[in-house]
Amino acid sequence: MPSSAETDASGPAATTSSSAGAPRARRKVTPETVALAALVIVVLLALLGPLLSPYATDVPSGTPYLAPFSGGHWLGTDNLGFDVLTRVLAGTRISLFAALVVTGGSALLGLLIGAVAGFVGGWVDSLLMRITDLFLAFPATIVAMAIVAALGPSLRSSMIGIAIVWWPLYARIARGEIRRAAGSLHVEAARMSGTHGARLMLRHTVPTVMPTVLVTASLDIGGVIMTLAALAFIGLGSPAPSPELGLMSSAGMQYLLDSWWIPVFPAVAVGLLSLIFNYLGDGLRSVLRARGA
Amino acid sequence: MTAALSVASLSVNYTRTTAVDDVSFTIEPGQCFGLVGESGSGKSTIGLAVQGLLTDLRGVTTHGTVTVAGTPLDPSKETGWRGVRGHRVTTVFQDPMSSLDPTMTIGRLLGLVAGSTAESTRWLEEVEIREPATVLRSYPHQLSGGMRQRVMIALALARRPSLLIADEPTTALDVSVQAQILKLLSREREQLGCGVLFITHDLGVARAVCDEVAVLREGKIVEHGSTAVTLENPQNPYTQRLVASRLTLHSDRGRPVGLPEATVVASMAEARGIQDADLERQWTEGSLRWSDFRAEDEGGPRAGAPALELAKVKKSFSTGGFGRRHRKDVLHDVNLRVGTRESVALVGESGSGKSTILRIAAGLEQPDTGDVVVDRRRGEGVQVIFQDAGASLTPWLTVRSLLMERLGNTVTGAGLDRSQREAHLRTALERVALPASVLDAKPAGLSGGQRQRVAIARAVVVPPSLLLCDEPTSALDVSLACSVLNLLNLLRHDLGLPMLFVTHDLAAARVIADRVVVISQGAIVESVPSDDLGAAITSDYGRRLLDAVLS
Repeated sequence: MPSSAETDASGPAATTSSSAGAPRARRKVTPETVALAALVIVVLLALLGPLLSPYATDVPSGTPYLAPFSGGHWLGTDNLGFDVLTRVLAGTRISLFAALVVTGGSALLGLLIGAVAGFVGGWVDSLLMRITDLFLAFPATIVAMAIVAALGPSLRSSMIGIAIVWWPLYARIARGEIRRAAGSLHVEAARMSGTHGARLMLRHTVPTVMPTVLVTASLDIGGVIMTLAALAFIGLGSPAPSPELGLMSSAGMQYLLDSWWIPVFPAVAVGLLSLIFNYLGDGLRSVLRARGA
Repeated sequence: MTAALSVASLSVNYTRTTAVDDVSFTIEPGQCFGLVGESGSGKSTIGLAVQGLLTDLRGVTTHGTVTVAGTPLDPSKETGWRGVRGHRVTTVFQDPMSSLDPTMTIGRLLGLVAGSTAESTRWLEEVEIREPATVLRSYPHQLSGGMRQRVMIALALARRPSLLIADEPTTALDVSVQAQILKLLSREREQLGCGVLFITHDLGVARAVCDEVAVLREGKIVEHGSTAVTLENPQNPYTQRLVASRLTLHSDRGRPVGLPEATVVASMAEARGIQDADLERQWTEGSLRWSDFRAEDEGGPRAGAPALELAKVKKSFSTGGFGRRHRKDVLHDVNLRVGTRESVALVGESGSGKSTILRIAAGLEQPDTGDVVVDRRRGEGVQVIFQDAGASLTPWLTVRSLLMERLGNTVTGAGLDRSQREAHLRTALERVALPASVLDAKPAGLSGGQRQRVAIARAVVVPPSLLLCDEPTSALDVSLACSVLNLLNLLRHDLGLPMLFVTHDLAAARVIADRVVVISQGAIVESVPSDDLGAAITSDYGRRLLDAVLS
């Protein structure tokens, strides 16, 4: 005889999920799938580009000021005769790498600080959150600029500077969610079963914040790419002739009228990268929401 | 006379499941028709379909005809429903808080339907609200659950509908309020002569108010007839099981309740080492007694040392804010003792402080003053089984990780190696009649009943020195509740576990506990042995609870 224990749950669960009126989605081309495909292409190009390209990033490879699609240079050459496409691909790689490291690092730091604050509560919470507020009180880009200026302009300093101003955001998010999760029944039940301290926090509460942090992080990568480029644009990134997108567009600005491709293509690359990550974050959010996470 | 509602071969299919399968019935004006079934049986879906709330929905296909007071309507098309829904068919839902607009006063809400203030006042008086003027100025959150449900009924009746749908209208209410609301619904129905479609999982409630009932299972009506005949003398085996699973104050508490259930029989066989078939026969015959499962005494006199002792426990919480902060006493001088191997049920209505006592005994709250002594000699502390077992299991961990974690945190578990621990888990699962295959499942992959049993298995993987149960059966269907009660009773007798069982249900309390302690407004009113509960309860409050169960 089948017990009702086995039959009861399929019913209500199926009822609620399907009464929401969402039939299995047909495969459709959404901005998110396009973004995912674009990201795959961009990552592949960035990783393999320098290998595929016959030119080097720091050696002149042709006549200066060649227009796009001339003389074997798809995106033309710059004022020194460097191949623009090769440098844009190399710059994309640097941007991607730097943005991932900065976002990952600040998300991790913020998550840790926010989780401890939210989980422990009391004076620890107050102390950590006041420190967080202190960072949030100043305009992020200005603080980052000050830090980079103090450390000496380079890609590494820009990454450190941005990470320092970026983590408080994650701390805020993580703290709120952890506080809510810490009061939930399964955490109480785990505590009753004898689990305490760091183990209770890491195993039973932190995973609830992961979807939110992941979505926020993926939406933020675009912003970090822009900020990195901005710092490089005002001369706080690696010194020339490093193939950095922000630096390339700022150095190329003086040729905008005669040889527009020199500053425009690096700028377009920055914009595209940010756009791709924005759509990707949106997509990730809807996927996680659909899963009920 | 045209029928208030006539449903002809109604079927509702969701994308992957059939919720309602060829259902037909008729409700005459003034008649109360009960749709009875367990969760997932499709009863609420029928309620939605006859209000035209399933029209033009993606993923929902509806067939059949719904005739409201002579007007035939197609439950799959929006056409024609507008003047019917909320006018000739109105609804009282289970949770009045979420169906009343929180931004509007009751006066405005009711005014939209009744027209004038005088008329609104008259309707509030009609539903026996004593101070209508005050209530009209109140917002929904300022009213008690019972008052909100009265307002909902006034709102539903003020339209003078031909059909009133009552979807579990009393499930969220305390037993004593429940009886009043049911009485009110019956009276109004007779006065206004509207048909009532009464949806409930509670056979007792259906018996109290319905003229006719249809028993639903998996979207089909399995039995249909007058209430007296269907529920007193059921023919269908499913109805028989439902009826047998209903606990009353006369259920034999010396033996398992309900009809034999495979899972409970399996774990009993495990405990006693005999054949399933024998047990099932003994159960059916009534010769299977809990006394057969008496745990062997671990030796040594243990009398005098209770498993739990609360002495003069006081607790208050602060409420309000912005200068209006004041403390509300939840418990006043509570003394409670759970003896070694004793099972005590703490019975009271919501807000009585019973859950606070449980949380204090569990160590999840600290009392303001007073002493809490837990017998630590077993060394494994206190375990809790919560009402919402699903939510008490961490969703991203497997059953194995959850049980292993508990085992690793105990004195017993710490001394075991890997294979011994694994063996321990399997024994625990057998005790609650779960297959070893659930070890690698996550809570979302289990049914409600399985989750409840995983929660129990975690609590008893190493027998605790005291098991606390917080309404573990009140969210479950009757047959499932029976099997959980049987399982807990088996563990209690087999392992000799002392238990404190918190509930609002006297009938369930009586089955699981040796002694029932009645609590009201933070004070213990009386303590009576379960064996002659009906006669032994003498306090006014206790008698009121008792009457509510009997009615």
